[in-house]
Amino acid sequence: MDLFTHSWLPFFYLYGMGALFFFPGLYLITKTKSLDMNKPQHRKWMKILLFGYVWFMALHGILITLALK
Amino acid sequence: METFHNIGTTTDWIVMVVYFLVVMLFGSYFGRYTKSTSDFFFGGRRFSWWLITMSIVATGVGSHSFVKYSAKGFEHGISSSMTYLNDWFFVPFFMFGWLPIIVYSKVRSIPEYFEKRFSPSARFLATILLLLYMVGYIGIGFLTLGKALLPMLPEAVNVMGTAIDITLMRAIVVIAIITGIYITFGGQTAVIFTDLLQGFILLFAGFMLFFIGISYLGGFSTFWDLLPTTWKLPLAEFNKPSSFNFVGIFWQDAVAGSIGFLFMNQGLLMRFMACKSVNEGRKAAAINIMFILPLSAVVVGSAGWLGKAISVVSPDIISPNTSPDEIFVVVASIITSPGVFGFVMAALTAALMSTVDTLINATAAICVNDIYRPIVTYLKPDRQEIESEKDRRELFVARLASIGITALGVLAVLAFKNFPTVYEAHGYFHSTLTPPLVVAIFMGVFWKRFTPAGVITTFLGGVLLMIIGARFPGIFIAPFDHGIEMNPARPYSYIRALYNTIVCIGVGVYVTAMGNNYNRFVDIFKSRQSGRSEMVGLTAVVGLAFALALFGNSTMNTQVLSAVFVVILVPGIVGYFVSYDEQKATEGLTSWSLDKAKIMFKGSDINDQVGEKVEVVFKQEDERENIIRFSKNDMERMSANVGDLVYLSDKRKWLGGLKSIHSTYGEIHNEDGVVYMGTRNIETGLFDKGRILIAEKEM
Repeated sequence: MDLFTHSWLPFFYLYGMGALFFFPGLYLITKTKSLDMNKPQHRKWMKILLFGYVWFMALHGILITLALK
Repeated sequence: METFHNIGTTTDWIVMVVYFLVVMLFGSYFGRYTKSTSDFFFGGRRFSWWLITMSIVATGVGSHSFVKYSAKGFEHGISSSMTYLNDWFFVPFFMFGWLPIIVYSKVRSIPEYFEKRFSPSARFLATILLLLYMVGYIGIGFLTLGKALLPMLPEAVNVMGTAIDITLMRAIVVIAIITGIYITFGGQTAVIFTDLLQGFILLFAGFMLFFIGISYLGGFSTFWDLLPTTWKLPLAEFNKPSSFNFVGIFWQDAVAGSIGFLFMNQGLLMRFMACKSVNEGRKAAAINIMFILPLSAVVVGSAGWLGKAISVVSPDIISPNTSPDEIFVVVASIITSPGVFGFVMAALTAALMSTVDTLINATAAICVNDIYRPIVTYLKPDRQEIESEKDRRELFVARLASIGITALGVLAVLAFKNFPTVYEAHGYFHSTLTPPLVVAIFMGVFWKRFTPAGVITTFLGGVLLMIIGARFPGIFIAPFDHGIEMNPARPYSYIRALYNTIVCIGVGVYVTAMGNNYNRFVDIFKSRQSGRSEMVGLTAVVGLAFALALFGNSTMNTQVLSAVFVVILVPGIVGYFVSYDEQKATEGLTSWSLDKAKIMFKGSDINDQVGEKVEVVFKQEDERENIIRFSKNDMERMSANVGDLVYLSDKRKWLGGLKSIHSTYGEIHNEDGVVYMGTRNIETGLFDKGRILIAEKEM
């Protein structure tokens, strides 16, 4: 049974399409200076935001791998 | 489909009643801290991130309930709760766009933002759309509550010799009365603390149920091996079946739903506004979405997964034909003992009540802020009133509004009760009602050139195009369907969100891009002597076109042409009648001017120097304006100047900011470790004499 459309296709769509919202969002908030990279606290928030994206991607990746195993 | 009645024992009912009484007493205890409308709606903007994080759990888990995710878990497996893991994409926009704007602009509701940023007419339309959204959400909450409790109730009760059937709607009416009583006399502080308690209990009860279920099945590996591979996958099949597919739910939930939840769920926003600062709000959002929601995904879906596993090994115990919306109750009753089942059900229903409470409270805030106050101001513009009297009057109106909204919420159930599952009802509702407001908020916050003409046309034209899409889905929504088969009974429940979002964005972008042309159009009419009457005539014609498209008593082509006519002409009409100063309207109200927003919030320049927190005890002095006074040394340690904003709270962290105030630094004195303040600040802060307080500069 081909499980691609049930596993990695939704994964790539989720993080591909999600990236089209997420990264322009990061760009926009830095460009508008609402996230000001000159402030230490905001630099920490930038790391947290990036970590969040990777965290969910890793979580889904691991769950898919475990299910297909 | 197999349905159930009379599940549970007398012990379970006793446990449930006791649980509800304890929760209501807990809420009432904190309800006494409600002294003003600010407390009633926003909890006084004083709480720590962890308290808000936990109190959001009950709201989030309750609204995305055990019932609906267990139902989909029983039908489709672990992917049932995939929507708990897709909220991160819009978090940057929320944390550094919308959240600081709503806090610093001191708006009390989303429609109020629309008035400040655009115009009163934009606020009026936003209020209508938002009330529809909130009342619909309350209806979904009541429907879920009814479906959760119905299997536990008998088929009929005997009242004075007359047998009365217990139907879904009758059960919902009784639930609504109980819910309404609680919220009417509690307020936001009570809701926050009740939700805090329930957040912990919900996670505990959910995990307890999961582990008991795993043990019932003989261990995790047995459970895992019983599930087919497709049931173990965390994401649904890409585009089928039409009732549950990944791509449709991505657009309905990850996009429209996430933005809707973060940007226009007044209940959730009020929680964040109850945080002591913007940064605490960010922390609450980050921890909730990154860690609590994945845990919640297990909690809400697991009864369905366990039900599926049990139905594979013992179809005689759980039939594969069990009604999906009842699977949570059925599984919980089978794997737990009497009393424990009552506890689990109490936790579930109480959480759902919390969600509904939060929404009713939030909708009451909109009623007071966006309907009552503007009407009072219009009718009695010169009314002089003492602040405390005004507060008492508005609090009374808020409580009346809560009762009315509860009744409307029950009526809203009628629109959703015929969907096969709560999940589909909720999906359909979100796809349909969120896009216009979501697009309007988003463009308003991030696009300075977005004007009243843009937002009003997005509301009117966008809604018309959405309605036409819903009438002719095979023509308008099909091009976006990603291969999802159209179910004629409920066409494109989820993917319609993509079409709806695109048409709303399209209208907003078109109007903004054509801004200069519309300005010229308006100038022409303004320069003509008969311009005003011509414009009134044009408005009447556009009104007719709007009605033609709205009521749909014409051919598809006529409806489309009417909608296009509305989209083309409304910006000109709005431009003519609505005065708009872009500089003034965008200052502090878009993400491009947050520094300005902070200055407006504070009332003077921002002091960004980093200082320490200091410990103090308070001493009372004569009442002054909202200022508190510190010693010179303490001020230096905090890097604070007279006129800066200060946050003062009880040192006991577990209070989560319940005993705290925001104030302004007054003139200095020479007693280190002492803060001087008036009676009003002491009472508002709920401070205890002799307790150590922590002071920190806010900005």
